[in-house]
Amino acid sequence: MRDALRTAWTIAGKDLAIEWRTKTALVSSLTFAVLVLAVLYFARDPTAVGAVDIAPGALWVTFTFAAMIGLNRAFLLERENRAMDGILLAPVSPQAVFFGKLAANLVFVGTVELVSLPVFILFYDVPIVRGLPALVGITAMATLAFVAIGTLLSSMVVRTRFAELMLPLLLLPFLVPPVVGAVQATARILADRPLSEVQGWLKLLAAFDIVFVTISTLLFEATLEE
Amino acid sequence: MQYPDNGGYMVAAYVVAAVVVLVYAVSLFVRLRKASR
Amino acid sequence: MMREKAEALARRGSLLTAVALLALAGVYVRALIFTPIERFQGPAQKIFYVHAPAAWSGLMAFAITGLLSVLYLWLRDRRADLVAAASAEVGLTFSVIMLTTGPLWGKPIWGTWWTWDARLTSTLFIFLLFVGYQVLRGAITDPETRARYCAVIGILGLVLVPFIHMTVYLFRTLHPDPVVLKPGSPSLPGNMLVTLLTSFGVFTLLYLGFLAQRYALGVLRDLNDEEAGRAVS
Repeated sequence: MRDALRTAWTIAGKDLAIEWRTKTALVSSLTFAVLVLAVLYFARDPTAVGAVDIAPGALWVTFTFAAMIGLNRAFLLERENRAMDGILLAPVSPQAVFFGKLAANLVFVGTVELVSLPVFILFYDVPIVRGLPALVGITAMATLAFVAIGTLLSSMVVRTRFAELMLPLLLLPFLVPPVVGAVQATARILADRPLSEVQGWLKLLAAFDIVFVTISTLLFEATLEE
Repeated sequence: MQYPDNGGYMVAAYVVAAVVVLVYAVSLFVRLRKASR
Repeated sequence: MMREKAEALARRGSLLTAVALLALAGVYVRALIFTPIERFQGPAQKIFYVHAPAAWSGLMAFAITGLLSVLYLWLRDRRADLVAAASAEVGLTFSVIMLTTGPLWGKPIWGTWWTWDARLTSTLFIFLLFVGYQVLRGAITDPETRARYCAVIGILGLVLVPFIHMTVYLFRTLHPDPVVLKPGSPSLPGNMLVTLLTSFGVFTLLYLGFLAQRYALGVLRDLNDEEAGRAVS
């Protein structure tokens, strides 16, 4: 067990260190997030649609796109260095490798989300203070879901010719339950509804997380070269 | 007429379904012949 | 699987498909000419006799792809992969029929080409997953890697669809739509029921025929590739 954690930690550390050296993906994700938030703000008739009405959707489109960029970056690195072959030569469990990669991707996406959130609050002028913990919780759950599946799919798609096209194509259907759930829950939180109304969506998010993180961990081994 | 005049939709749907089935069936027959050579 | 066996299966599958196609023509005749027109919905209601069985075949194909994907990863038997792939392609065909006849039925009956109800949305995503499966399959050349990767998608997809269904259902119950949705007929009079059930049977036969043919095709292609590989080396 300790070996597994150490492996995961090492892999996560390596991935994040490589990213930190250039910071290109991080900067482009953040810029993209700010752009998307801005554009979506203007993509409506302001007399008919209030900013707070489209805010949840705008936030989650932004988060989702940021996640896609992050996942792309992760495997481009992989591909350039054929690093995975080296990792596999060591006697490490595939689950540990998966957790390491998942952790690195979560840190990346989480950072983008953390920085975009104040920008979002500023741009859309949303009343967020009381609902903030709930919002953070929901964000964590939904992000975990699509980053887990995205990490699994990335490791498959990295070896194909049109990897950058393939990842969104395969990943997008899996984004529907967590993103819809997150948007619905976010909308209610921004509207200051009691948490009881959000229960159904929270249960859906939790169930989705449990099922898909488990399945992704189990299936990861099948994506590695034998 | 007693019933709504939407026969056009019915014809379109039946035609589309038949076309898809036939095109696929033909593609299978052709591909099998090529693979058997 | 040896070449003779594969070719025998191809012949039997082709025969089954041919029979199913004739039977389908029979269903067409029965549905269009010998089944009465429903008084309130009009002739467009008859689309149901094609749409529902096609949807059923598509769903069945999807489940089979998913289950055989599990089987493949468990047993690593190439045949499981070939059946899964065959089912995926056949399922894609039926999904196309489902997604084209669906709106053509929805417009006259419900008044709208599309509606995001749980069932329709799930079928849309089954279609998208089938497409993804095909694209992934085409992008990998090594048969063993291809089988593994497609199995992963097959399993993920199978687990996803109930969640999509649940998501839309939750959305709907909290946002009731003015459109009253009753996709299935609650009770069909005898004549219509027979037509519907016959159609289900024929579409199932058609699925099996196509499946056998497509599986045989997969086996033959694999054999051809192997022989070509040996010839070069």
